[in-house]
Amino acid sequence: MTETTLRPIDVKKIQEMLTLKKSKMKVLLSFCAHCGLCAESCFLYRNHLDPKYVPAYKAINSLGKIYKKKGKVDREQLEEMKELIFKNCVLCGRCYCPLGIDIPSMISLARTICRSQGVFGVFPYAVGEP
Amino acid sequence: MIIAKIKPLEEVQAMIKDFKRILNVGCAGCTAICLAGGQKEVETLNTKLAVSFKEEITSPLIEGFTVERQCEVQFLAELDPMVEDYDALLSMACGAGVQFLAERFPDMKVFPAVNTTFVGINRDIGWYEERCQCCGECVLAITGGICPVTMCAKVLFNGPCGGSQDGHCEVDKNIPCAWVNIYKRLKAQGRLEQILSVFPARDWKNQTQGTFVLEEYQDRYSYKDKEGSQK
Amino acid sequence: MKSGSNLEKILAKSIFAVTGELGPPRGADLDAIREKAKHLKGMVDSVNITDNQTAVVRMASWAASLIAIQECLEPNYQMVCRDRNRIAMQSDILGAYTLGIRNMLCLSGDHQMFGDHPYSKKVFDIDSMQLISMVRKMRDDGRFLNGQEITKPPRMFIGAAANPFGDPHEFRVFRLAKKIAAGADFIQTQCIYNMNRFREFMKQANDMGLTEKIYILAGVTPMKSLGMARYMQKNVPGMDVPEEVIKRIEGVDKKKQASEGIKMCCEQIEEFKEMKGIAGVHLMAIEWEHRVPEIVEQAKLLPRPNPKDLE
Repeated sequence: MTETTLRPIDVKKIQEMLTLKKSKMKVLLSFCAHCGLCAESCFLYRNHLDPKYVPAYKAINSLGKIYKKKGKVDREQLEEMKELIFKNCVLCGRCYCPLGIDIPSMISLARTICRSQGVFGVFPYAVGEP
Repeated sequence: MIIAKIKPLEEVQAMIKDFKRILNVGCAGCTAICLAGGQKEVETLNTKLAVSFKEEITSPLIEGFTVERQCEVQFLAELDPMVEDYDALLSMACGAGVQFLAERFPDMKVFPAVNTTFVGINRDIGWYEERCQCCGECVLAITGGICPVTMCAKVLFNGPCGGSQDGHCEVDKNIPCAWVNIYKRLKAQGRLEQILSVFPARDWKNQTQGTFVLEEYQDRYSYKDKEGSQK
Repeated sequence: MKSGSNLEKILAKSIFAVTGELGPPRGADLDAIREKAKHLKGMVDSVNITDNQTAVVRMASWAASLIAIQECLEPNYQMVCRDRNRIAMQSDILGAYTLGIRNMLCLSGDHQMFGDHPYSKKVFDIDSMQLISMVRKMRDDGRFLNGQEITKPPRMFIGAAANPFGDPHEFRVFRLAKKIAAGADFIQTQCIYNMNRFREFMKQANDMGLTEKIYILAGVTPMKSLGMARYMQKNVPGMDVPEEVIKRIEGVDKKKQASEGIKMCCEQIEEFKEMKGIAGVHLMAIEWEHRVPEIVEQAKLLPRPNPKDLE
């Protein structure tokens, strides 16, 4: 166990990180038309046909959530989004959005924020296993 | 995937000892998966380095930041606003990532904190085995899925050699003889005739650094593929 | 005649051939080779000149082969795949042939980890099978590996190794067939102690018609002592030393162990003379060259044919 997993959530740090991609996040949250084209282009979604793999869903329910809470998330909430961003996405970068939302960048930042607070994906990707 | 192994602490320490402000850049790709250079490893290394410099009169400031993959521009770009605060970068990515990082920041001193060892498989957590040497001309169809370049110490294409004994390589009892295994597998599958004729001398095509652009993207870069232009 | 070498002529005339072995020295030492050659002169039809055996640096086999020729010994110039790529190999073959070398042995070579420079970069550009093909192409087609013409082609008599005791056991005879297809003219086996297994191997080789297409020389190494027998059994890859052999040496007085070893070797040679498909014997008396005359005499292999009489 590293030090970070025992420390309390550093909200300030999260807020700092959120400013890095503020404009992109605003685009994500306001422009997403739920057209589903990103799902078409995601091979994980095409294999599972589960909404939890839709790229926009993954981004909105991870980084989007953190942003909406203005960074004031607790550890449990970060743990909940682990599955979406570490297991359901490999950041292959092939998701296509006709409105120009940079989904990989969103998920990447969500990962960075989670990692900074000691919430990691595990290898092999099995949520909850050591 | 690419497997790397962290360098000995003394070696890393020696690389960075003359610098004051160092950023240790981790990679959440291959080196994270093989537990060599992900965020956890960045933190662990930074802690160890801090301890090792404690005795010194001036110990450097060592901070860490992990990007998704150091082999991709969009992820490396995240470092752009940060690097000017430091006078050296330590990278825990594989050799490709370290070089790409160094290329993006040519004025920065970039140092590798891991040794990239091989392309291999993850047998189980912490257990990695080499499987591929990127020769560029895969012959696994003929050898039943066992690579003669990587798995045979003598790179035989018409093995086994006379030193194979009890199914293991003459070099080390723990290394299985690739050709015994190729023979067994092909025999079990009824494909033994594939290795009954002499496999001719092969052309080694990975002897210079490689670059290629997929045909469908060549127009995008106005790229003339050497082979394409000869057609 | 492919090469016109002494060995080739003897084998072509169905005379039971005898080849020996000479390891070059670990220095620029002319006398060391002359000393060893002295014992072998007139005792063997040709002699293997090893190529950095066990990956330990020694005088180059081409150089030692030339000295052998000067000492009136016909060399079997050994080339391994570990240290040279196809460019260096073809180049060396041209040089060797020009200076009178006529027999070649195409081997994989022991891995560099065994030797005195274990972390040197391995080559293994082509394997022994591909090397055999290449030498045949140079000789019979007059072409380099890339298909281009050689101005004056070297015409070597091509030898290879076979290990009847390696793994996988059933595949060994097929591998022999491959070497024949690749172009080998003669084979030397690893030294044999397990005669039962060897008889089985030869039966298969005969049944497949392989012995009509290639000359096989059975390898023998006399045991000098019990210590050597045990070492060979435990530490040498690809070596099969049955317990009976160990027991037999164990059973005699320490001072007599060497003679017993030679006696056993001669018994084997007697059987090889009569064995179908065996064209000769390859005597590897490593670092024991001074006993070769005695062994060859006791095995009733003397006198060796005089090269001049073979025209």
